[in-house]
Amino acid sequence: MLWKLLPVGLSYALLQVTLRFKDDSDLAKRLQDRDPRAMSDLYDRYGRLAYSLIYRVVRNTGAAEDLVQETFLRVWNRVQSFDRTRGALGPWVLTVARNRAIDYLRSVDGKMSAGALELDRLETPPLFSKFEDTALSLDRARTLKSAFEKLTPTQKQVIELAYFEGLSQTEMAERMKQPLGTVKTWVRSALKALRDDIAGEAIA
Amino acid sequence: MSLCQDFHDDFELYALGLLDPAEKEGMDAHLRTGCATCEAALKNALATNAIVMSMAPDVVPPARLKRRVLASVGVHPMSWSWLAAVAAACMLMVALWFSVQERSRSAELAQARHTLIEISSQRDRLMQALSFLDDPSTVPVSFGKGQPIPPHGNVFVHSKLGVLLIAANLPAAQAGKIYEMWVIPKGGAPRPAGLFQSQGGTAMHILSGPLDVGTIGAIAVTLEPEAGSSAPTSTPIIVAPVAGP
Repeated sequence: MLWKLLPVGLSYALLQVTLRFKDDSDLAKRLQDRDPRAMSDLYDRYGRLAYSLIYRVVRNTGAAEDLVQETFLRVWNRVQSFDRTRGALGPWVLTVARNRAIDYLRSVDGKMSAGALELDRLETPPLFSKFEDTALSLDRARTLKSAFEKLTPTQKQVIELAYFEGLSQTEMAERMKQPLGTVKTWVRSALKALRDDIAGEAIA
Repeated sequence: MSLCQDFHDDFELYALGLLDPAEKEGMDAHLRTGCATCEAALKNALATNAIVMSMAPDVVPPARLKRRVLASVGVHPMSWSWLAAVAAACMLMVALWFSVQERSRSAELAQARHTLIEISSQRDRLMQALSFLDDPSTVPVSFGKGQPIPPHGNVFVHSKLGVLLIAANLPAAQAGKIYEMWVIPKGGAPRPAGLFQSQGGTAMHILSGPLDVGTIGAIAVTLEPEAGSSAPTSTPIIVAPVAGP
């Protein structure tokens, strides 16, 4: 399971997302200026992260490679509307990568795709700007990981189904053969537990 | 009018695109009001989602993927390994060029050597023929004069040099046939004296080595199978009687 695979400390990926947040502005500028080396730097920074996430979703190396390529191409083509001074490239790249992978899963399952347009709308560059300084901090990442470890198995399962399989709560209920209301309770309680731990950490 | 608390639990699912349609429409409508609190909550949810997504088990992508990604946006990195490959390819091409040149020169050299050997051989034969003609002890014999369509020419016999045959107007040798010269002793059976071919009906053939000119009755030529014969198998096309010195 996901949480058992994480090391005691923060993973490489978590560090990438949190530590890179503040020094992405120069890279974003170079991407917008079409500096040929900028794409290479973007890949060095987030390629492994995107590949790991996509592979976790699709479980297929060939498809994962295709989807990573599609992810970076999409970022390259849309970067002009990215907020170079206050934007966060990491969350944007990860969101695009996850959406491509979920979209792929849905197309394989023949469920294309009223959700495709919705996913597209939720990865527009302006959304990934003006984060609070603490939103992607190392402390927050550490707290979030710790909070995950405290979730019940069922809570962890619904979080995985949402993030890595792209199932809505109705689809989770069908998959888990549970009433929709029960599944909604599990999902909301899991997310609330994460939020409460983060809020508690902030107050402390 | 919706209250912010109504959406408090839904921002992560909304950002993942997983809200049911009715819930999503409510959230969209509320965000369109410009609610700063919910706008900030949405940013926090996006950050939370990014951190959760980054918890996927670490998998190292294949090295080729970077080249592929860069190529898809028209960037072609000049990595050291790529440069090394180009350098190796250049060296290979240079080596191939030299190899081809060397092979070409070798072929030309072989051809020149072959031509030289041929010329040298012809010169030796001409020198050999001249030595027959220069020596007063050579016995000359003409043949073919006065005949309707005969081969004609001369035979020169020398006790130390052997026999020189110069012939013209030879009939064409059929496929699988070759000319064979014979030394016919007086009152004896013909002895094989070598195989030769003509060029446009003319030929020069030399039998080297000493022989007893006084015992030779005639020099003859027949057409024989390609491997030659130990005794004539066809009617002679040349018979040159030799009168001893």
